Amino acid sequence: MLPEPGVFHFPWEISSVQEGAAVRTYGRLRDLIASIRNPEVSEAVLSSQHLSVQYDITVHTAFVEPFLPSLHSHYIVLGDVERTEGDGVMVRARVLNCVDGINLALLQQAIVEQRRYLQERDEHASHLKIY
Amino acid sequence: MQTEQGEHEPSSLLWGLDPVLSSFAKLYVKDILRMRESSQIPDVYFYKCHPLFKVDVLGTVVYKREREDFFCYGVDDGTGVINCLCWKDEKWRENTDAVNSGATLQVSNKGGFNPVEQLKKLKLAQKLSAQLEIGDLLRVRGSVKTSREQREIMACSYYKVNDPVMEVQISWMMEVLHLYRDFYDKPFLFTKSVQHLDTAEGDDLLRSLSVLRRASRLLMSFIREKGLGSFRPKDVQHLLMPLLSCAPSCSTTQQESTVAQSSSKQVHHLFRDVIKALQDEGLVFRKVISQDEVYQVTEQDKELRRVTKDIVREDSGREKYAEKGCHVLHILSCVRQTYSRNVSKSVIEMVLRCLERDSEIFSTIDQNHYKYISVTD
Repeated sequence: MLPEPGVFHFPWEISSVQEGAAVRTYGRLRDLIASIRNPEVSEAVLSSQHLSVQYDITVHTAFVEPFLPSLHSHYIVLGDVERTEGDGVMVRARVLNCVDGINLALLQQAIVEQRRYLQERDEHASHLKIY
Repeated sequence: MQTEQGEHEPSSLLWGLDPVLSSFAKLYVKDILRMRESSQIPDVYFYKCHPLFKVDVLGTVVYKREREDFFCYGVDDGTGVINCLCWKDEKWRENTDAVNSGATLQVSNKGGFNPVEQLKKLKLAQKLSAQLEIGDLLRVRGSVKTSREQREIMACSYYKVNDPVMEVQISWMMEVLHLYRDFYDKPFLFTKSVQHLDTAEGDDLLRSLSVLRRASRLLMSFIREKGLGSFRPKDVQHLLMPLLSCAPSCSTTQQESTVAQSSSKQVHHLFRDVIKALQDEGLVFRKVISQDEVYQVTEQDKELRRVTKDIVREDSGREKYAEKGCHVLHILSCVRQTYSRNVSKSVIEMVLRCLERDSEIFSTIDQNHYKYISVTD
């Protein structure tokens, strides 16, 4: 009944996420394009840079309409990953919030630290299980 | 899911020693869903060896269902999703109606500060912060329940958080992490905390407490024996001298002159502590704060007793107090006006207890209300 938790992922990791998984990620709204299959629904493109490579994430916005786009602003998206034909992945947004002014460096740090902690804990637990 | 099965569950008698029990634990939703339930008491859970039943969660609403008297929000904090039952405030309807009718009465009162208007705004803001949509950020505090094999949070308080630049969420992530590393993941040693008082660390504390207690007893028994109504510190301070010889032996390595000096200083400090303790208990008080330090002994103060009795007698007859009797605070303020401003609540309580013991007055509905025993009753 309840959806899966949207785990934080960095934009450059989305392409390797399993289909159907719920994710939370961020990016600047670069573009809005009309969907090829359904022209009434738009798709948003969130882009971000990492190690001088640009990563674009296509976001399906049908569930979050009406959605007032503000181009070049930062957005946080929470949604489910879907594979599209040929060109990779798309996130079907359940939540899409504008967070312009966000301190991205701090968010990244928080994500990294939380991840490290949870990983350490899991390792510790599995270590205990072995013995 | 069962985790940490290897952890031994401490006896419920000791749970209260763990500070996590009485706080709202800021756990990851994932852990709330997984923590094991106590085998001794239902609705108490264990994260590692910490007993807890209240949690504090911040997350995005990803699911919403409205029922007649509550909202059910699915809250996602990035590690898990949990249902939160958030009760609607029963007073909403009544209050808004009352406020509306009040506002129409005040319509003519234009300009300036209008409290009714402000109250209405406040109620509206309160109501808005309690209604959330999917995508909003929710902060919820409440107790953890398991119903139909599903964990949920029964909210005791909840509100919508405005977090336009994710500041709150980021700092929350950091804070929770620290709490885990510094508290939740550290085992709480129940048995050690009980033994604590016997160990060397607790020894000093225990000894100074017992010295204080003995000193208070000594001073009070001297006062009672001699029937003192009042005293000055310099006259009774020397009584405490013998107690210091058994106090921490700091004198062995020191020079004799400094020993004498430090012991008089110690006596002085001890006396200060004793006087403070006696004042807190209401056994002694200062009628007048002046250069001349004189302490009144509450039990022996006939004047205070008479004034208090008169107040209770007179006010017991008044209509306002006829049913329940006079409240302690009322008696206190009257005594302060007529007798001395420096009388504390504990002093008055002491006097009232004495009067009650001697069947001059009696307590009515509780230990805070007193009435005079009149002969004609």
